[in-house]
Amino acid sequence: MDVERIKFERTGGFAGIRLAADFDVSDLPDDLSQTLRELLDALDFPELPAKLTGGELIPDSFTYSITVEAGKWHHTVITGDAPEDEKMQELLELLNRLARKKIKRH
Amino acid sequence: MHNHRHSLECILPEHMLEQIATKGSDAQKQMAMDNINVVYQLRAERAMRASLADLFAPTMPRAADGGKERIVYDVKRGTSLPGAAVRREGDPASADAAVNEAYDGSGITYDLYKEVYGRNSINNNAMRLDSSVHYRTGYDNAFWDGKQMVYGDGDENLPAEDRLFNRFTIAIDIIGHELTHGVTQFEAKLVYSQQPGALNEHMSDVFGSLVKQYQSRQTAAEADWIIGAGLFTPNVNGVGIRTMKAPGSAYDDPVIGKDPQPAHMKDYVNTASDNGGVHINSGIPNHAFYRAAMEIGGYAWEKAGMVWYATLRDKLGENSNFQQCADLTHQTAGELFGSGSLEQQAVKNGWAGVGITIGGETPEPKGCLEATLRFIGAAPS
Ligand SMILES: [Zn+2]
Ligand SMILES: [Zn+2]
Repeated sequence: MDVERIKFERTGGFAGIRLAADFDVSDLPDDLSQTLRELLDALDFPELPAKLTGGELIPDSFTYSITVEAGKWHHTVITGDAPEDEKMQELLELLNRLARKKIKRH
Repeated sequence: MHNHRHSLECILPEHMLEQIATKGSDAQKQMAMDNINVVYQLRAERAMRASLADLFAPTMPRAADGGKERIVYDVKRGTSLPGAAVRREGDPASADAAVNEAYDGSGITYDLYKEVYGRNSINNNAMRLDSSVHYRTGYDNAFWDGKQMVYGDGDENLPAEDRLFNRFTIAIDIIGHELTHGVTQFEAKLVYSQQPGALNEHMSDVFGSLVKQYQSRQTAAEADWIIGAGLFTPNVNGVGIRTMKAPGSAYDDPVIGKDPQPAHMKDYVNTASDNGGVHINSGIPNHAFYRAAMEIGGYAWEKAGMVWYATLRDKLGENSNFQQCADLTHQTAGELFGSGSLEQQAVKNGWAGVGITIGGETPEPKGCLEATLRFIGAAPS
């Protein structure tokens, strides 16, 4: 899959403060974009259902939305904070980190 | 092909979705099907959670002496709960501040419920209070997982100048908030979505704030009514996460934005995110409670708190909405303090101050119907 853009959103949590970021994958350092592509491939992201189960109704847990775009194609997956798949957990951690980096203070 | 979700700004009523699914264009049908699937999936998850709670119930760890027993665990930045036990009931203080905060905070929460409301722990059957600290790395959150409390350390993994959050045990009302999610799970079982979800959040904020007031023996007038004071680092322009006194004014910051909480029904936020805005619209009942408690005066946990506690325990159900909560707290105040009493009057006035009339009709949240009509091309121009 030749991913071009990723839109990431984290909502909910005790604080209820939204964290969102929109990345052009080509803007990321090579090692990060490589890791990202590998995770998406390992997850077979285009074939994932639109909604993964995993803790959404646990009070104060986070909900994540990940949209992957390639040309005119796009696919969105919504997941809770505790997806069963470890690769998905890794992907969430990576996107969280990238999103926090993007909003860092200058 | 079409396995992505076309989301609307609000969750549509099911009858409307079914209508669109049978009579709409192909694209409209697809949208409706996607939404119906989400609704059904949510319902299945709810059913599963309810049965999980029943399943857990007999195996909930019980305090050894049938009273207060706390255990604090250290997850050591991992994910497998609960982690290693590091402080048990009666143990001396640890060198780790998060461990002591979780221990002391859950103890004071137990005391408020026991001494004021006569409740023996979360399940009213001496359930042991388990807390895990140091969950994951850079975890800006705390939650109740159905059996125990879990706390992250905030942004401990970032350079000091980039940190927004401190550790989540730092404010005692957060601990009271999480434990109250447990109480709600055993009592009203409010579904964690839309208005019932916002009431679930509201109850956690009410008793979280009361735990803090009880600890400091503050009257309603002396209390700050802030939820999560001290959780933000000095990098954030804000006093806390929410305020029951003036919802919408807790923070206003260039990085994290502005506190989105409404203080009145006219500003109710229709959104699909955050399970239908459960942490947003809770501002409305939160402010009603604040107004009632201020009018009654004195220690808020004694009268206003008692009314809310009895309502949560005996009257609210899993699908209760704001109007029903208003009507039921008013009814409870009448039962506890007398019909027409000053306390009952204060509850009525509290709700009136946020735009909810006792015995009135719940206005259909604005925006939902309009969005639907616009989507199917039938909006009035
Ligand atoms: Zn909560
Ligand atoms: Zn489409």
